[in-house]
Amino acid sequence: MAKVGVFVCHCGENIARNVKVQEVVDFAHEVPGAAVTEHYPYMCSAPGQQLVIDAIREHGLDRVVIAACSPQLHEPTFRAAAAQAGLNPHLVEIANIREHCSWVHRDPIAASAKACQTVAAAVERVKRAKPLDPIEVPVTKRALVIGGGVAGIRAALDIANSGQPVVLVERQPSLGGNMSRLSETFPTLDCSQCILTPLMVQVSRHPLIELMTYSEVEAVSGYVGNFTVRITRKPRYVKIEDCTACGDCAAACPSPVANEFDMGLSTRKAIYIPFPQAVPSTYTLDADRCLNANLQSPTGFRVLGCIRCAEVCKPRAIDFDMQPEVVERRVGAIIVATGYDLQIGQQARECGYGVYPDVMDGLEFERMLSASGPTEGEVRRPSDGKTPADVVFIQCVGSRNPKHGVPYCSRICCMYTAKHALLLRHKVPESRAFVFYMDIRAGGKGYEEFVHRAMEEERVMYIRGRVSQVYEEDGKLKVLGVDTLSGKQVEINADLVVLASAMEPTDHGMIAGTLRIAADEHGFLKEAHPKLRPVETLTAGIFLAGAAQAPKDIPDTVAQASAAAAKGMELLSHDALERDPTTASVNQTACAGCFECLQVCPYGAIERQEVRDRQGNLQRYVAWSNPAMCEGCGLCAVTCRGGFIDVAGYSDEQVFAQLGALGPLPEVLGR
Amino acid sequence: MSDLQTSAVRHAGAAAVPDGWQPQIVALVCNWCTYTGADMAGTTRLEYPATVRMVRFPCTGRMSPLMILRAFEQGADGVLVSGCHPGDCHYVQGNLVARRRFTIFRSLMDFLGIDLRRLHFAWVSAAEGHKWARVVKDVSAAVTAAGPLPRPPAADGWEGPALPAAEGDGPEEISAADAEALRDHLRRTAAELLESGRAGVVIGHRRGSLPGRLVPVMAATAAECRELEWGEGALNNLVTYAATALQRAEKAALVVKACELHALTGLIREGQVARERLLLVGLQCPGVRPEGALAAKCLGCSGAPHPACDLLLTPAGVSEGGSGAAAPAADTDDARDRQIAAIESLPAGERWLYWQRQFARCLRCYACRAVCPLCYCSTCVADKHRPQWVPTTIDARGNGVWNVVRAMHLAGRCTGCDECARVCPADIRLDLINRKLALEVERHFGAAGLEPGEKAALVDFRMEDPEEFIL
Repeated sequence: MAKVGVFVCHCGENIARNVKVQEVVDFAHEVPGAAVTEHYPYMCSAPGQQLVIDAIREHGLDRVVIAACSPQLHEPTFRAAAAQAGLNPHLVEIANIREHCSWVHRDPIAASAKACQTVAAAVERVKRAKPLDPIEVPVTKRALVIGGGVAGIRAALDIANSGQPVVLVERQPSLGGNMSRLSETFPTLDCSQCILTPLMVQVSRHPLIELMTYSEVEAVSGYVGNFTVRITRKPRYVKIEDCTACGDCAAACPSPVANEFDMGLSTRKAIYIPFPQAVPSTYTLDADRCLNANLQSPTGFRVLGCIRCAEVCKPRAIDFDMQPEVVERRVGAIIVATGYDLQIGQQARECGYGVYPDVMDGLEFERMLSASGPTEGEVRRPSDGKTPADVVFIQCVGSRNPKHGVPYCSRICCMYTAKHALLLRHKVPESRAFVFYMDIRAGGKGYEEFVHRAMEEERVMYIRGRVSQVYEEDGKLKVLGVDTLSGKQVEINADLVVLASAMEPTDHGMIAGTLRIAADEHGFLKEAHPKLRPVETLTAGIFLAGAAQAPKDIPDTVAQASAAAAKGMELLSHDALERDPTTASVNQTACAGCFECLQVCPYGAIERQEVRDRQGNLQRYVAWSNPAMCEGCGLCAVTCRGGFIDVAGYSDEQVFAQLGALGPLPEVLGR
Repeated sequence: MSDLQTSAVRHAGAAAVPDGWQPQIVALVCNWCTYTGADMAGTTRLEYPATVRMVRFPCTGRMSPLMILRAFEQGADGVLVSGCHPGDCHYVQGNLVARRRFTIFRSLMDFLGIDLRRLHFAWVSAAEGHKWARVVKDVSAAVTAAGPLPRPPAADGWEGPALPAAEGDGPEEISAADAEALRDHLRRTAAELLESGRAGVVIGHRRGSLPGRLVPVMAATAAECRELEWGEGALNNLVTYAATALQRAEKAALVVKACELHALTGLIREGQVARERLLLVGLQCPGVRPEGALAAKCLGCSGAPHPACDLLLTPAGVSEGGSGAAAPAADTDDARDRQIAAIESLPAGERWLYWQRQFARCLRCYACRAVCPLCYCSTCVADKHRPQWVPTTIDARGNGVWNVVRAMHLAGRCTGCDECARVCPADIRLDLINRKLALEVERHFGAAGLEPGEKAALVDFRMEDPEEFIL
């Protein structure tokens, strides 16, 4: 029989005013198993806690009920006191007779009756409690950063600078991401390449960063502190260690293709370097575009139709026989920084994108402005190469409009449009810039001032309203719209139209499926809590940085990357993790293997395990709940029809016992 | 008033309520939102009736409908379940899955005649102290109006009000010559399957010891194939034996009626049998006659073999099937629906009495469980005793809990083969309960969930699931 100590707190007058403490003590004394019943004016005070500790030691109590305030306040206090007396902290139960009783019920008889029943139910519950020890999870001291844009670069550098090794995986041949495409950055007009490329070089030289470009994360298994990551290294057909990036191969290559780094505004060769400052500084053979692609002799051997690049390569760095390589890395923390794409949707097409060559999106215009871009920074119409005189910028194309695009605001467009208009005026002083906007969102340090600068100093014409139509007439783009401030129709004969189209997560957030983390309906990765846990995911050990989580600008991206890195470092600073032991466990002997628990688990904590007989033959599969991942919500326990899953601390037995003590009022309380 | 209503007995709950009586309400609340919201009501010193007793859970997803039942069974006059608003769940989706369970549980309670003034659901966030106080006041008022929980009535007589007869044309009749042709096709096909090694065993029917009744058989030899039979006496749902057959042979052929096929889909989805190890033989069905009359499930059925079967046998011959036809929706005309509607038309108290009479007959023989293709747990929750989920006593409490458990476990899974009702020695209309819940699941959550690979309705959720009953 359990020996339960019941300690009733007066909380000064807070409880005692409406609850007759002595009656609660007397009632509790009659509950089977209650060995000691005490009361004290302030149980949470040092003497109050001492009373509990002494009683545990003196009477050999094996369970404790504290009838006092909400467990949200002092459960940790009394658990610590119990531990001090040598009692497992999970054998302490709090009966809330203040917030849920004395403070909300003025009638002393009704309040006392409720307090008595609450305490009795707590005793019944704690009698079925089991001692629980914290779960220890070892930590692999290495981080994985997915995405080599500015977010991934910052996060990787922060972690590596703290002394922890990092694996940085980038899908493209070079680090840099979208930021490396930008000409200048708002609101300071820093050259984007000038601030980013030094960081890229730091990454490549960092002794603790293993850089894998042209590589993709294929699969992730495991759990916090213990992930196993499978990474495919795509063949470059160029040996990085031998390539000197002299460029002879590209000069010799006969196969020109659209250059995706310049958003298709220029061409590159099938063997190429994305941009001169690329890291690693090495050429890559685009196997799909190479003349040798799909060439096969009738006997199945690959034949080479063109070896001009290999012929001119003095260091003999080209290797046509390179194969994809799959590598595995064990990591303790994962930072996801997969970034964004610009969305070309229905509304962009209505504005003439894809129809007229002189309608372009923000990133294309960005490349045109860039000194390293296809026009070396000169603004020219793609159609005829002439310098445009009148340029119309249209904001919120496909954004903030659930009917024709996405409902959210892409956050950066107001600012980059102001920057585009301003840079246009710098580069083509005689030009005129018009901006169609819904409203200006310039919340950021120096942002509002920047927009004003564009409006006032550069006399960019801001027109509040939407564009209804863009069509070509007499070599001009006619932009029809409404100025909603004056209520007048506006018609502009433009030479160039630039669309601020919506940001969307790279590949619509496909990475969420690989990592088994949550994404919202648009594919943006979901944070654990929008305010209190903004860089964590619900899967412990996986953190978010940059536009993969939500649209954001460079300062916010970098700040979030450092935040995610800090969270990762916090995790990696431990040799082992301690987790709350109130987790689910499966009775594997009884498990029927329907795996509905696996389907409802929000954390991917349920795994299939094989049951084999002594000869090693597979008998069946049963569920297993990984205590390192389980958060103890109990969804699986209720889903299991046979009741083969239980949650420590909230076990079926405890709940049933507690419910059993909450029947009709006993006679003695009915007064 | 219909005959049905006039014949109903006075509701036992109308007994005099003592002066100053206060209801006892058990509140099942989640730790993160409602428990904290109730704390806030306390710190704000809001006053509300001292009628609720709180039980803290990590999440509404941890609250089994059986725990609600347990509270009633222990004498609570009302139960309040409360958790985080959709989208606020600490565990992301706990309350969304729970919402589906509660929707169906509440429908079941309503169908069984529990006064819904006793059962309430609410979303109360950690910031909504005022809402918590208001919810408790409203729920207290509703439960007070419902009065003390009535004690189970003495079931005066086993017979309840008569339900309208189930009507329908049933499948096309099969002439004697056609029946013989069909049987020959079956025997020959079975023998070929064994001989060619496409199946190691054929699960079918053979003649039993009672006239006109067929019994299941696992035919593994040519001789046994020659004994296979088919017809109105082929009552058993052979899907129940699929897993056992697969322990004997690597591949098994299974003779199935269209009404049984979806139980198999359920077993495949729940990983109990592998589709690729089964060869489904669908036969033109004349309908089954358990007690001489055509079974209610057959009245609206054409009798044609289901096109998803691998082999389709009709009197005309044998053809290859295997089209991935989707499961038919539950919401089609069914002879049983008039009977369900008749029960629903009764006032709650009389509905309750109807089912109390039905359950009073329950012998707890668990034949319903034994015959159900989807009851495959190694140990049934009814046989567990720590805690005692289901009281073992054969009385209103124990029988009521058992039948609710059974119904909840089949909700969203039961495919209406009606085997449970057929084998029930006490003739409890389990088929009506199952059919009612199948309709409720479909009405609220759509017809999804019968394709292998799809999630069952009650382990799935949508943000926009209906919740008009939640406060």
